Amino acid sequence: MKKMMKDNQQTDRFQRVVKAASIHYDMEIGKTMAAITDDFPDNPAAMKYFYEKHRNLIRNDSNGKLPSKKTIATLCIHVPVELILAVGAIPVRSCAGAFTTEQLGAEFLPAKSCPMVKSTLGAISYNLLHGKVQPDLIINPATCDQKKKLGEINEEISEKFYLLEMPSTKDSEESREYWLQTVFKLIRKLESVTGNKLTAKSLKRAIQEVAHAQRLYRKFNHIRTSAPVILGKDALLVTNAFFFDDLESWSFHLNLLNEELENRMKTGFRVVNERAPRILLTGSPSVFPNMKMPLLVEELGGFIVSEEFCSSSRMLWDTVAVDEWHLYDMIPALADRYLKPSTCPNFSPNTDRIRKLLSAIEEYKIDGVVCQTFTGCQLYDMETRIIAKAMEQAGIQTLFVETDYSPEDIGQLTTRVEAFLHSLKHNRKKQLI
Amino acid sequence: MKYFVGIDIGSTAIKIAVLNDDKNICALGQSPTGSRFNQNTSDTLDRLFAENQLDSSLISYTVTTGYGRKLFKTGDENINELTANVEGAIFMAPAGSNIRTIINIGGQDTKIIQLDQHNQMTNFIMNDKCAAGTGRFLDIAARNLEVDVDELKELHFKALDKPLSINSTCAVFAESEIISLLAAGHNTSEIACGIHYSIAKRIARLATRIQLNDDILFDGGPALNSGMVDAIENELMRKVIVQPHPQFTTAIGASVYARKQYDFESKSVIQN
Amino acid sequence: MYSRNITMNYLQNIKHKADRANVSRLRFWIQLFTFLLIVYGGYFFIHIGSQVPTFACPYNQGSPGTCYLIAMQHGLHLTWSELVSYRGLAFFTGFLTFIGFFIVFNKAWCGFICPLGTLQDWITKLRYKIGIRFSRYDSASFQKLKKIKYVILVLLIAIPLGMSNSFFGLAPINHDMQSPFCQVCPGRTILPLASADTSQIFIDFTNKTTLVMSTLGILITALFFVGAFAKKRFFCFFCPMSALQFLFSRIGILRLTKNGSNCTRCGNCNRVCDVGIIGIAEDITSKYIVKDDCMMCFKCVEACPEDNCLDVRVFNAKIFSSTQEGFFKRYIQPNELSLKNEKNDER
Repeated sequence: MKKMMKDNQQTDRFQRVVKAASIHYDMEIGKTMAAITDDFPDNPAAMKYFYEKHRNLIRNDSNGKLPSKKTIATLCIHVPVELILAVGAIPVRSCAGAFTTEQLGAEFLPAKSCPMVKSTLGAISYNLLHGKVQPDLIINPATCDQKKKLGEINEEISEKFYLLEMPSTKDSEESREYWLQTVFKLIRKLESVTGNKLTAKSLKRAIQEVAHAQRLYRKFNHIRTSAPVILGKDALLVTNAFFFDDLESWSFHLNLLNEELENRMKTGFRVVNERAPRILLTGSPSVFPNMKMPLLVEELGGFIVSEEFCSSSRMLWDTVAVDEWHLYDMIPALADRYLKPSTCPNFSPNTDRIRKLLSAIEEYKIDGVVCQTFTGCQLYDMETRIIAKAMEQAGIQTLFVETDYSPEDIGQLTTRVEAFLHSLKHNRKKQLI
Repeated sequence: MKYFVGIDIGSTAIKIAVLNDDKNICALGQSPTGSRFNQNTSDTLDRLFAENQLDSSLISYTVTTGYGRKLFKTGDENINELTANVEGAIFMAPAGSNIRTIINIGGQDTKIIQLDQHNQMTNFIMNDKCAAGTGRFLDIAARNLEVDVDELKELHFKALDKPLSINSTCAVFAESEIISLLAAGHNTSEIACGIHYSIAKRIARLATRIQLNDDILFDGGPALNSGMVDAIENELMRKVIVQPHPQFTTAIGASVYARKQYDFESKSVIQN
Repeated sequence: MYSRNITMNYLQNIKHKADRANVSRLRFWIQLFTFLLIVYGGYFFIHIGSQVPTFACPYNQGSPGTCYLIAMQHGLHLTWSELVSYRGLAFFTGFLTFIGFFIVFNKAWCGFICPLGTLQDWITKLRYKIGIRFSRYDSASFQKLKKIKYVILVLLIAIPLGMSNSFFGLAPINHDMQSPFCQVCPGRTILPLASADTSQIFIDFTNKTTLVMSTLGILITALFFVGAFAKKRFFCFFCPMSALQFLFSRIGILRLTKNGSNCTRCGNCNRVCDVGIIGIAEDITSKYIVKDDCMMCFKCVEACPEDNCLDVRVFNAKIFSSTQEGFFKRYIQPNELSLKNEKNDER
């Protein structure tokens, strides 16, 4: 009797938490969206699709997907999305960006944990993922330590977690071999969860569809780095939508956006003035609705040209090159693409990240770099020292900020970003003279 | 005669500097910030002009800075305090010096600013999450030692370089530590000296993340405290420059910036 | 000045089109053409000389020329004193002619012209059609096995010299060992088969030496077919012509270069490389990126999705570069996609 009452209480409490959190989450989304759309003029018309997709993040099943397909949640960009598509399931990248769910997750995790990990665990535990999906499987790569231990924390949901083994380096042949074996194991797991077999035809189709989306993204990237026709806060919404949107629909609307932006380029339309410093963002990823830093930088007059985030370019950039379109070549090609070009600080050494930043700075004519680290993220924090040295040697001004999801530090961040942008403008003026 | 006003609305005090078109500082004044920023600032400004017999109708441009900079309704422009501090430091730099680092201890934060050879800010580090190592800590200490903040410097030198070590990392907990040290019979000068070194150590820790290049300027209210200056010089093992009126450096910088924005030819403001 | 701009624009347009080309398809046709030329050209009285840097095997009646390795082995059948006389001069002149031919196309002789290479590629296509997987060497084996071709090259040079001279006071090598490489080369046995000539497939029971060498020849021929079926360009890994060529590859006119700062180390180039060279992906500092096993087929350039990372150059001018658009154009097959409202990408 007592146990039954306790269970009812748990369920009752659970329902209340979900209800209250949904309301707060929706309000948080509303506030962020209002800042994105209303604080800036000249939003491209084609962005309306992406605005709506994000506004309805927690409202309904925003995917409109068939109930017959399984949903597989992923917690990292190292999970090969093509495999999930090829077994006929829907991938939903579930890294969360909400302060609301961070507070929920804080119930289970140490206080100094990464806010994204807390937010994700809170969202999973209280059924507040994108589109309110209830995933059939949660693939959790063993990348950073905090992510790795997520599956153990909350007993009620841990049976849904599947740990994806990852090597700690990507340079050795053994690590590539280990990762390939992990991918094979993942395929078997996906096949058993969905009941569908992976075939060469379905995998080829999936690889081609993702490649098509990547091609559109590269075009988008080329447009926004060549001409100031779209702000970074919008570009981040486009890539964030890739987490959970239907691939075909996303590709279609990105194509429309590209066309509109190309028209803007032809007419010489500018979305910022000439003196706006060109900024590159890097570090811990900005996941919607945590658009704190991008919004702040652009509200204070900066222009975000590109981001080296795993919620942005790193998710969509690298391609799969297949020599023979059979499973024996497609699967290793896929595995290599998800390991070798990665610039996640989880890998040691991570010199590719420095090279990528320097290459982007030169190619996109960047004036300054803003490097964001989440409080509690040891990997990114340690790498800031390395980045600082490299940027100093290259003569690039860099602003390092440590922040989390809470809105309390806006005042302090404003001071820093303002001072940084001001000094960039001055230096540029000096160079012009 | 034209006046250019720089107002630094800080967390503890409002500081105002008035510069004229010949680049002379005509007036400096401060008052506690209180809670009504706008009103208190206006009042302080009026009072300052009255006391110095200056005609407030000749004010050409007003620039505000500091945390409360956007709250002064009748200001013309606002800039952030890092930029203002740099302007003020360069303006007040002693002849023959080459300021490349500014250490500022404010009421609620500490900043270290790095400058290049063109007096442009290239990097900065701020500690604005914690009161330890800021002017607030000195206020707390003075209150517990039952002295005025101005008396701390005399106490420092009486301690004959025997500072007590203050272990608490938090300014609030340091209070109880000070009280227990007093109860144990330690004298106020040793404790005051220890507090200065505690703050100086914090600055030194902050400075490990940025390169300190000579010449180093130390400004902000606590720079008036020669005991604090001594502790910093010993902890950093470098000499620091202290300009006159260090608590007004940022306000002076804002007034210098105001003057730069005003184009004498067109008698109007340069559009930025 | 104005006309120069027009010329520059025109050239740039050509280059853009070239960057999107499907080099692999072009290569297939060039390989077919050169295979027919080298295997049957002699029947049409075509002569391309005796310093050809590829397997134009003279044992094949239809060959329009002579593979340099046989010329080299014959040429080295000199005593030391002869080597420094006018006969030695003939050898060096021949050698310089070989280098002259070689540096025009650099290692692309292997990828585009060599008939044994073409044969292996056709065997690979057959395997692909059937759907059997291929094997790759792991890096430890790769490092060990790649040295074999240098050993063969050294033997190829040393044995003929050893037949006319005495090394270390030992008796000169038996004349049955003449043209030692040709006796084991699969080109000798296979290329004549294209003219239905099986006369080269035999075991010579004359004496022990000929027995061993001819048996070795048959075994290597069999290994050629089996190996090429299991691994792409199996034979090329052990080819002494490749070793000889690599020594002069740096001065070649046709070049393959890399700009390491644009490289994301995605490894696409290594994935499609038939020979399995890992250096192309991992080396981000060298400019001249041709390694000894490279056959300059340029599949790596086609597979590279970054702009101006891998370039094919004639002297220093780029004629084919890796580009993002080129990559996608070659790899995406629109009929695989279920997308509606797709715009044609030909712009």
